Order: sequence, then C-alpha cells, then structure tokens
Amino acid sequence: MYDMLAALINGALGWGWPEWALNLLSYILIVTIVLVVAPLQMLFFTYYERRVIARMQDRVGPNRVGPEGIWQPIADGVKMFTKEDIVPQAADRIVHFLAPCVVVAPTVLMFAVVPWGPGMVPVDLPTGLLFFFAISSISAVGLMMAGWASNNKFSLLGAMRAVAQMVSYEIPAVLSLIAIVMIVGSLSINEIIAYQTGLIISNRDLPGIPDLGLGWFVFTPVGFVAFIAFFIAALAEGERTPFDIPEADSEIVAGYMTEYSGMKFGLFYLAQYVLNFLLCAITAIIFFGGWQGPGVGWLYAQGITPDNPNGNGLFNVLAGVLGVFYFLLKTYIFFFVMVWLRGAFPRLRIDQLMDFGWKFLIPLTLANLFSAALWVAFTRWGPAEGMLITVGWSPVLRWLAAFVVTLAINLGVYLWLTRVYAASQAERRRAELEELSAAA
Amino acid sequence: MTASPFEIEIPRGRVIEVQRDDTRVRRGGGLLRGMAVVWKHWKESFKLNRSYSQIHGTFTIEYPEERPRIPEAYRNMPILLYDDETGHELCTSCFQCERICPPQVIHMTQAKDPATGKPVPAVAEFIIEYDACMSCGFCAEVCPFDAIKMDHEFELSTDDHTQLTVHKEQLLRPISYYAKIAPTMWAEVRESALKKLQGNIRRRPDVIGLAPQLTEKIAARRAELAAQAAQAAAAAPVAPAAAPAPAEGRKLTPEEKAAKLAAIRAAKAAQAGESATPAEAAPATPSPTPAGEAAPPADKAAKLAAIRAANAAKKAAAGEAPATPPAAPDASAAETTPSAAPPSDKAARLAAIRAANAAKKAAAGEAPATPPATPAGGTAADAPADAPPAAPPSDKAARLAAIRAANAAKKQQSGDGS
Repeated sequence: MYDMLAALINGALGWGWPEWALNLLSYILIVTIVLVVAPLQMLFFTYYERRVIARMQDRVGPNRVGPEGIWQPIADGVKMFTKEDIVPQAADRIVHFLAPCVVVAPTVLMFAVVPWGPGMVPVDLPTGLLFFFAISSISAVGLMMAGWASNNKFSLLGAMRAVAQMVSYEIPAVLSLIAIVMIVGSLSINEIIAYQTGLIISNRDLPGIPDLGLGWFVFTPVGFVAFIAFFIAALAEGERTPFDIPEADSEIVAGYMTEYSGMKFGLFYLAQYVLNFLLCAITAIIFFGGWQGPGVGWLYAQGITPDNPNGNGLFNVLAGVLGVFYFLLKTYIFFFVMVWLRGAFPRLRIDQLMDFGWKFLIPLTLANLFSAALWVAFTRWGPAEGMLITVGWSPVLRWLAAFVVTLAINLGVYLWLTRVYAASQAERRRAELEELSAAA
Repeated sequence: MTASPFEIEIPRGRVIEVQRDDTRVRRGGGLLRGMAVVWKHWKESFKLNRSYSQIHGTFTIEYPEERPRIPEAYRNMPILLYDDETGHELCTSCFQCERICPPQVIHMTQAKDPATGKPVPAVAEFIIEYDACMSCGFCAEVCPFDAIKMDHEFELSTDDHTQLTVHKEQLLRPISYYAKIAPTMWAEVRESALKKLQGNIRRRPDVIGLAPQLTEKIAARRAELAAQAAQAAAAAPVAPAAAPAPAEGRKLTPEEKAAKLAAIRAAKAAQAGESATPAEAAPATPSPTPAGEAAPPADKAAKLAAIRAANAAKKAAAGEAPATPPAAPDASAAETTPSAAPPSDKAARLAAIRAANAAKKAAAGEAPATPPATPAGGTAADAPADAPPAAPPSDKAARLAAIRAANAAKKQQSGDGS
C-alpha cells in the first residue's frame, strides 16, 4: 500500500508528501479495508453456511430476501440491532460488557498478517504466523470472561469447555504448523506462500520445476498430515461441529453466549464467523499456497515489485485480482468443507474431544515433526550438518528419498496410532461398563 | 471387546450395550463414508424431487407461489353449507354438533316462526369460535344433515382476535364449493343430504333458513315466480314457496290446529246464538269468523271486514228484510282475504270487538232479522272450512276473538230473553 501510494502521490502526482504522511494514509486505508472486509466476510459466511447446509439436508435455505436470499444476512443484522440488550441482574456488568469486545478484537487483529494477494498484506511481519496464533488465543480470555460474568451455570460450563478445548487444540495446531515452519525456515506468512511455487513439487525443494504456483505443501507427506491435523484443530478452535461443544445448544443452551442478546450476541457471532474465515484462510495459505495459483506468479513478476521497479503497474492489479480470486476460492472451499463436516457428523462428547486431541492428534503431529526434520535433512543438509548419506545425490533423488521416507514414517505412525487409539477407546468403554456394573 | 451382548442391571433399569457388528479399526474410513453420503445429498439437491419415492433431491415446495392440492379428507375448520339453487341452509339446528364439540366452541340459536313463536328446522344464528376449535371434525361427522363440513382453507391468521369468532354469514359456503374441494366425499352424501333438505324446506316459513347473503336475491326471484303463478291463475302456488299452501289432507301444524279449533268454537257459538235468537247471532258470527279463522288478512282487511260486519248488523237492526246481500259479501270477504299477509292479532281483536259492538247494537234494535241471519250464519259456518288452512294465523288472537264473539252473542241472547 505504501509503495502504491508513494508511486501515485509522489510519483505520478508529484505532490511530494513526507514519508510519515504516506505511512499514515496507507495504514488508515488498510485498516479501513480490513474493518470493512471482515464483517462483510462474516455476513457472507452466515448466508453461505445456511445455504450449503440446507442443500445437504435436501432443503433450499434462505431464498426470500433479495435474489436467492442474498440479502438475508442484512435482514438478520437489522434484526440483531433492534433486539433489546439484556444484562442479567446478577451479572458482573463491566466484564459482561467487555467480553464481546475482547473476543472480537483479536479476530480483527488477525487480519493484519493475512496476505490477500501478491504484495497485498497489511503488515508483513517476520513472525506473522506466531502473531496470528498468539493473538487468536486471546479470544479464549474473552470467552472465559463472558462465561464467568454472566453468572449462569450454562455460561460457565460453556466457557470452561471453550477454554479447555481451545487450549487443548492449540497444541496440535501449532505442532502441525511447526513442521511447515521447519521446512520453510521462516515464520513470515509471505515466506511460506513464496515457498509454495512450482508444480506439485516446490521450486525450493527441487529447483527447475516449472512455476505454476502449485507447489503446495499439501502434496508432500509432511504437509498432508499437517494439513489434516491442522484442519481438525481449526474446527475445534473455531467451535465448529463436530467440535461445537462449548455452544452445544442441545446441552447447555448456547454456552458462554447464553446470557447475551442483541448486538452483544451479534459480536460473538461475528467473532466466530470471522475466526472461521481466518482459520480457513490460514489453512489455504499454509497448505494450499494462499494466493498461489497458475498465472499469478508470472503476472506479478511483470508488475512493480522490489525486484523489478520498472514493471508495469497494470500487472500488479491483474496479479492481485487473480491472487485474491484464488485465495478466496480456496478459503470458501475450506468453509464448504467445514459445513460439510457439520452436515455429516454429530457432536463429540467432551471426553472424546480431549482423548482425540491429546492421544491421537498430538502424537501424530509430533511424529510429523520428525518427518519434517527428515525432509529438511534429506533435501537441504549436507556434510556440514552431518548428513553424509545424501552426499553426491542429485536434487531429484534427494527429493524422492525425502518423500518416500516421510511417507513411510507418516503412514506407519498413522496406522499404528489408529490401532492404538481404537484399542484404547475400546478399553475405555469396557472399563466404563465394568464400573457401571460394579456400581449396580 | 466381547462378542456377546453386554447386559447389566442397575437401580435405574437395565443398561444394554449394543455390540455394533463391525468392530474393525476403520482409520477414518467411516468418517469418509459419512461425508460421501452428505456429498451425494448436496449434489442431488440441485435437482427437484417430486416423486417422493426418492431420498435425494429437493422436496421443497415454494409455498405462497406453489400450492399443492390438498387431500380431500384434509380438515381445518368447520363451515356450513347452503344449497346453491334455493339458498336454503342445510342446517336444521339439531344441536348435534354443539353437543359433541369437545372444546365447546359451537353455539347456535334455533330459528322461530315469527307468527307463532314455534321453532322451525332452521338456524337463526350459528357461531364457531375458530380460535379454540381443535379441528377434530366431530361436528362434521355427527351432522345428520351434512350441513357442517370441514374446510380446506387454512390461512386464517389475523391480528384481530375477535375475527376468529365466526358467525353464520362467514361460515356459509355454497354446496358447489364443498363439492369442488371434496368431490368424492360430497358425492357419497349428496343424495341423502338434498333429500333431507327438501323435507326441511317445507317446514320453513318465509325467508327463514335462507342464507342471509342470498335473502334479497331469493326474495326477488320468488316475487317473479309468484307473478308468473298469478298469471297462470293457479290457486295454491300463488303463495311464496316458503309458506306453500298446504294440501287439505296434510297433517296440520299446531298453529293451524289452533286456528281450526277457534273457528269451530266460533261456529258453535254462532249456532247457539242462532238457535236462541238467530236475529242477533247472525251479524255477530260472520265477523269473528273472518277475523279469527281467516286470520292471515292484514289489519286493513280485518278492519274492513269488521266495518262491513258492523254495517250489516246495523242494516239488519234497521229492520230491513233483504239483509242477505250485505252479509254475503261479508262472508266472501272473509274467504278472499286469507293468504294475503300475516295477521296481526291486534287487528283481529279490534275486529272482534267491533263485531260484538255491532251485534249489541243490533240486539238493542228490532228483532225480526231472522231471515237474513240464516244465510249469514251459513256462510260463517262454511268459512272456517276454507279459511284455516290458508295460512297459519296467530292462534291466541284468533281464539280470543272467537271467545269474545261468542260471549257477545250469549249476552245478546240473555238480554233478549229478559
């Protein structure tokens, strides 16, 4: 944004603004765009989810407000604004009021590091990924505030569940991401996207591969397992079915949102859908190349970049449009999968959730971490790092060796873990029944 | 995992663990299978499903735009039926529906003949409280006249609660409407319902039992028919269909019986007067007869008859011999007036009083009025035979008139004797 403004104002118009003014203007514009886009995404997602889940249940879904019901979220929003704002008498008024803000603020902050297209990232932090997940954890504080301040047992139960779930599933989510970070060697989200050029195989792993922007991590054994583990963890973080235990409307009304009404409830709702959007987006970015796709890299290379200051600005726009298109397409497909899972599976019990997270996902992601280390060793290390086997191997052979070894490890660990996990679950069931009969 | 079903007793009851047949480790394959099912539903949902034998495809009917045909036996709220042709309601107010209605939301009042105050087989007001109606359809099932049926109309929402207390005017639907929404169900009962309706129509005077929204239309149509009948010079059918001139041999209604009785009494009294002092009795008798038995005449006609009777009596008193001619028209007036209009008992009473007065005056005058008295008495005796069946008079008034006339005659008799 700064480069564009500098080129426009100081270059084309020749006004000669100082650097701080350009910076200020560019950030104001960026923040405005982010703050407008986030609620719009949320509005679209509510409509999108309702339509998709309806189709999965042989229904039509909202189709009355506007063409095919596209204005339904607007009507819902108007309804939400006109609702009475009720604060329970026994509630802690201040905390009750602050909780929705504390939940919403981090989700909006997370937009700061999300790249929408080539060169279209609000802030390119060197530790973007860390920022993203660190900030996302703050909303757990908000949930706990909401549950506690409501002075309602359902709220408190919901909040407890939410916090327990979020803390548990952050570990597999981060462990699966660490595998990717190890391969890329950077926490910068832009770096991670830049790594995923090529065609099925990344350019960085195997130089000389034609660049179609398809060198996604999901095509490697390490990336695939990390993707599965991360997506499951993302479902739990976003409180999506089958992990919507904190809200569990059939058990505890609406969890921590029970005592909220009107626009405060709307804010929780907003936070949830924005978070879902962000989780889908980060999944698309880390495992599916974000805005990477056929044509974007080439178009961007023609435009004005730090490497190529004499490029054509038109190509920047084209690359941006195509990149945003790919990015949103991937994001929406992931949200579709989220809805698909919601349509297919019932809610887990809290103990099943914990079992699955701690006894299955964490071991799996730990093993994947080992695979990632091997991947790096095979593709990049040489005698200096003590990797003597691969001395003299061609890059293709190195890549193949890495692929086969990590695939074998991941597959073996997966098969072994599923067996162990199933046995442990059966044993658990048996123990429960024994306990029941002993009680009788 | 044991293969046999696991079953244990606990204080709350038995706990049965269902052994699922497939205990293999599926490694996520089960999840994928579930997702495949949902995927197929999603994919197929873009096709319409109208066969209902399929589990895939969208079944949705876009309601306000699309309205599927409602099954005949669907029942929502009860309605009343009336005959398209005659406008007659099928309801006879037998109170069967009111009695059987479980939430007791049906209320009705039986119609009464305004002339006699006797109930007739028709309903005056019929109310159903739709807001409390539970659509059980018992009323329609129990109705022996097929007058109450269950409607298919279900869009009854309103912001005015009182609108859900529905009166007869809103409940009434033509038979053709019901025959359209439930053709086979109506075909089953059509014949018996219409037959019963014909039986009831005969017992409904005037406009009673007509659908209120059709009253004017039907009144106009009847006037037309009456005019045609008058042109044809037919004697009986001149009267409106609502009050058809009864056949001689028909069983008499109570009102008619009362009228006849009064006439007979009057005639007897006249005879008694005749035998004692025929001169005085003669003018007295003809006048009550038209007033009492031929009651249907309007007050005007009744007054006229009384005046004529009085005149005749005066003339008779004047001693003039040819008293027959005035007496004869008197009696004939009594014969022609019936069936013109409903009687008013005031007028009848007035006529009787006037006749009595005239008789007194005549008695005070000269006696030898015997010859004209006989024919007059004769016509009076004839009159009741013709007059009563013509129309149901108000029996109280008729009886009263007859009694007064008789008393007057007796007084004359005793006065004459002294």
